[in-house]
Amino acid sequence: MKIALINGSPRIKESASSYILKDLKSLIDDGQNIISEYHFSNPQVGEKYMNELIQCDAIVFAFPLYVDGIPSHLLNNLIKLEMFFSLNKEKDIMVYSIVNCGFYEGHQAKIAIEMMENWCKKSGLKWGQGLGIGAGAMMPFLRNIPAGSGPKKNIDYAVNQLACNILKSSSSENIFISPNFPGFLYRITAEMSFRRNIKENGLKVRDIYTRI
Amino acid sequence: MKLIIHDLENDCFLSKANLLEDTMVISDDGSIHHCIGCFGCWVKTPGACVIRDKYGDMGEYLSKCNELIIISKCCYGGFSPFVKNVLDRSISYILPYFVIKNGEMHHKRRYKNKINLRVFFYGENITDREKQTAEKLVKANSFNFHCEAYSVSFADNIMEIKEKLI
Repeated sequence: MKIALINGSPRIKESASSYILKDLKSLIDDGQNIISEYHFSNPQVGEKYMNELIQCDAIVFAFPLYVDGIPSHLLNNLIKLEMFFSLNKEKDIMVYSIVNCGFYEGHQAKIAIEMMENWCKKSGLKWGQGLGIGAGAMMPFLRNIPAGSGPKKNIDYAVNQLACNILKSSSSENIFISPNFPGFLYRITAEMSFRRNIKENGLKVRDIYTRI
Repeated sequence: MKLIIHDLENDCFLSKANLLEDTMVISDDGSIHHCIGCFGCWVKTPGACVIRDKYGDMGEYLSKCNELIIISKCCYGGFSPFVKNVLDRSISYILPYFVIKNGEMHHKRRYKNKINLRVFFYGENITDREKQTAEKLVKANSFNFHCEAYSVSFADNIMEIKEKLI
């Protein structure tokens, strides 16, 4: 089985999408599947990649939620892929999408997942499953936590379900989850991190409120 | 101020709007860079995007407008890549800090202006499902950008939008 993992984050490294895909890869890499990894960090997907993707049995997208939807650079690539896939009738590809959002509630990624389903239909591909993960900013900090435990419990359970569906080439209901971590603590931690960042940039905490 | 964001190639009637007092038109000249997710507009140059192309001050423009008109091709129930790019580059309009609204986490507002958001989607083959997605999207955008009111409409072609706008 050929599976493509596409990281749709514009961030070159340390993106939440890259950590989620790393976990997913460990679950689907049984030595027999051929797994190819791509990083769509800019709007210019090449024909070489498109030719490779059309040979796949499953394509998994992972990207951050931007203004309630798909980041524009990835949207550009999806349009190019739609045109390419639509021209090729002989294909049997399942599509899975993982959307992480900065808000605590994973269900805020629902609209972006719906757009991916709409894209899938227009491209003549089969929708597998969507996974919306809340508190995406936590992902890089959870990397050393053992799988299936602590704040990662819900996320790992959902990623496991997604992996099972990918391996069976099956479709299932979309899943929307938040980590096993209180929402108010996530909010406090995220806001502390913004204050730390602004000070590291030589500004004062009150500068966050700057009006131009 | 009235702010118009659109992706029309042949924008002669909107070019005229640009000449009107108190109206600003944001269009695609092919030079826009995409958001790189650095959060610099929140923690490095608060209120402005760190990418200093023509679209780096969208937060400021939004803070000065009371009517925001978006004209976009409907792509999978969302905006076209250019319009979405402009919106991705506009998050300096809000603060990184959070507020709980309707039991959900959202960003706090930076500015106090009140925006009436009007969105016009166009396209020949917009499916019913895409229309449903687009309506949900504009509602969510309106909520997250703290708009006072919003409306969504769909048209097969540009002329229909022109009629609705004038």
